[in-house]
Amino acid sequence: MKLITAVIKPFKLDDVKAALQAFGVRGLTITEASGYGRQRGHTEVYRGAEYQVDLVPKVRVEVLCEDEDADDLIGVVVKAAQTGRIGDGKVWSVPVETVVRVRTGERGPDAI
Amino acid sequence: METVTSFALDRARRTGQADRWLAELLGAEPGVALVAVGGYGRRELLPRSDLDVLLLHGGRDGIAAIADRIWYPVWDSGAELDHAVRTVPQARRVARADLKVALGLLTARHVAGDPDLTERLREGALEDWRAAAPTRMAELHAAHDERTKISGELAFLLEPDLKEARGGLRDVQAIQAVAAAWVAPAPGPKVRTAYEQILDARHALHEITGRRLDRLVLEEQDEVARALGLLDGDVLLRMLAGAARTVAYAVDHTFRQADRLRSRRLRRRPAERRPLADGVVEQDGEVVLARATDPAADPVLVLRAAAAAAQAGLPLAPRTLDRLTECPPLPVPWPVAARDALLALLGAGPAAISVWEALDTEGLITSLIPDWERVRNRPQRNPLHKFTVDRHLVEAAAHAAALTREVARPDLLLLAALLHDVGKGWPGDHSVTGAVMARDIGRRMGLPEPDVELVASAVRHHLLLPMVATRRDLDDPVTVKQVAVLVPSRTLLELLHALAISDGLATGPAAWNDWKATLVTDLVRRVAAVLDGQPMPEPAPLRDDQLALAAGGGPAAIVRGSEVTVVAPDRPGLLWRAAGVLASHRLTVRSANATSVAGTAVTVFDVEPEFGEPPDPTLVAGDLRRMLLGRLDVQDRLERRARAVPPRGALIPAPKVILVDEASETATVVEVRAHDAPGLLWRVGRALGECGLNVRAARVETLGAEVVDVFYVTDADGEPLTDRERRRATVRSVLAALTG
Repeated sequence: MKLITAVIKPFKLDDVKAALQAFGVRGLTITEASGYGRQRGHTEVYRGAEYQVDLVPKVRVEVLCEDEDADDLIGVVVKAAQTGRIGDGKVWSVPVETVVRVRTGERGPDAI
Repeated sequence: METVTSFALDRARRTGQADRWLAELLGAEPGVALVAVGGYGRRELLPRSDLDVLLLHGGRDGIAAIADRIWYPVWDSGAELDHAVRTVPQARRVARADLKVALGLLTARHVAGDPDLTERLREGALEDWRAAAPTRMAELHAAHDERTKISGELAFLLEPDLKEARGGLRDVQAIQAVAAAWVAPAPGPKVRTAYEQILDARHALHEITGRRLDRLVLEEQDEVARALGLLDGDVLLRMLAGAARTVAYAVDHTFRQADRLRSRRLRRRPAERRPLADGVVEQDGEVVLARATDPAADPVLVLRAAAAAAQAGLPLAPRTLDRLTECPPLPVPWPVAARDALLALLGAGPAAISVWEALDTEGLITSLIPDWERVRNRPQRNPLHKFTVDRHLVEAAAHAAALTREVARPDLLLLAALLHDVGKGWPGDHSVTGAVMARDIGRRMGLPEPDVELVASAVRHHLLLPMVATRRDLDDPVTVKQVAVLVPSRTLLELLHALAISDGLATGPAAWNDWKATLVTDLVRRVAAVLDGQPMPEPAPLRDDQLALAAGGGPAAIVRGSEVTVVAPDRPGLLWRAAGVLASHRLTVRSANATSVAGTAVTVFDVEPEFGEPPDPTLVAGDLRRMLLGRLDVQDRLERRARAVPPRGALIPAPKVILVDEASETATVVEVRAHDAPGLLWRVGRALGECGLNVRAARVETLGAEVVDVFYVTDADGEPLTDRERRRATVRSVLAALTG
């Protein structure tokens, strides 16, 4: 099993959710996140006051899947989240040892 | 009439069962007694309640064996047991040191064994309680405040803690404890009914969840409602809100009586009365009406008293609230004074909430704003929201009060915050219906038509910024353009930004955080960049009679009703010195308009007395003329006045001073946003003068309790300020004058 994590632009969340649903993903976790990548921060002037934007708001999406679906899923997320501009985000996957569904106690792929 | 519910019967049955069981376990044992304390003592055993038992003895041997004989079977049965083994003196000693134990002993009830032992404990505990009443009352009050801080208020939370929240079960027990000390009367029938309602809900909650749960979480509300024979969770929450309001009001009243007992012991001289506003004074830490005030002849009094109380951070006395219900309804549209008082009330921030609540309990809010009835006590099924609709609106206004410096129109921000969800009382999109209602309410309050439209637009679009910021691509110029079409002015954009923040903060921690704030600020910045700079309010043109006066050259000072006109050869410092003279006569400047015609300065003030009768116009005009001739020490006069300024308990946001460049080519525009205070204009003007600046023109406006003043200033050579350091110094010294 794999855990796919995507850090994307907030406004792309609806598109990514729709694409994942179409792919057959039944559950996902979303966190409001902030960070920066290659674009770093930038300085803005607002109402006469300068301020530094260090961290850009992002959304972090996490999905569990079976090994054979991982590459396709990553492809789906990338396609849905892409604007082609700087700050589009990242997607990565890591192997997962165990998954347990808390309600039923099911383990492994059944619990996804 | 109190009805006995099936739940009450069930509690009595459980209590009887427990009593019989414990009596059996104790058997015929001399010199000991089993005493029920706390909820068990009150015969209020719920399905998952603790069995709170005290094994009382006269100091005999072998007590441990007796205790084991009783505790072990109870433990084995799985029941939760809260137990202690003590002699009467020991129990009294523990109670003296621990408020919780003392409260438990007040409800001590004999279960089994030697009844004399129990009676000695009961009498002793009550005697100790009464002897230590002043300290105990203070501890009870502090415990109540602490509970409120942690658990909030039952009436306004969507998932309230029935036991600990303000207005909940503990508060009624506190009233009973105060009554046990003979300090205030026991709870009346209304409070007892409210208590039973809340207790029944807690009972049903225990039964349904099978757990000792005191927080009425959303997912259990419908089932609890059905168990109580109510239609659904909304009906249940409305019922509980009503009950909790009754309890909260009663507990406040009880504590006020208890506090007075203490302060009377500390201080024997009669209470001082200090004026707060026209017809409103402070006495004994409460706001009451001045002796000569006649509520029946003064429709604005309700709001004026409320504003004075909130601004001073004091409660309205219950008797005063009673008398305020005698006020006739406000005429429609409202007079300016009523609107200003409402704004001063809302502008007090968190201090306004309890005053608002007090007015609402007396039905005074719905008579001011009839549409309020639709949102009153209205629960909302929404995982983000913490509060009922009405409380959410009041909370939003309180948060908005902290943001009044961020907007050009603090008055409209406060109103929009108060009304933004008012449409939730009706079906359909609440932003759309809310805008229609806000328009009606704005007109009812007598707002000028352009302001009515601004408030309605703010209500209509109050979700626009957070929604677009989180769901649309901010880098896409189309996104920004679409917002700019809906929000065509910076004034509205500022209002929506501040409204989004106050709305989010009042909703709950899930609705607003740094993450969302950053996105919304980014959007606002982008939209502001495509909007044109807004024109600064310029001095109004002079009327013919004022022009004629100016042609005379002056000096002249004319006081006509609320309008004061000062004409003199133009020279630096005229405006603020005149404002100082007015302040020294207890006149508040509502607006001021300063212009200059061919070397003659004409300043027109609109003033009103702070309280009481307006001062003699001939005296004011005389002082103004002496000032113009340089024969009056304004500063000295003001310092003597400053000592009589009423106290301020409300949390006021810090003032803000902004230099605006695009507004004028020939002058620097200094915009000052601050809380109104006596002599404010005088202090700001003097600070500008000390920076070597001339005030060429000015427009001063008081909006509720906030002021937005615009000064057109130039340096000694008549040029706008360009030097960076000097600009900073100017902002610094004006700020210092405002806060100092």
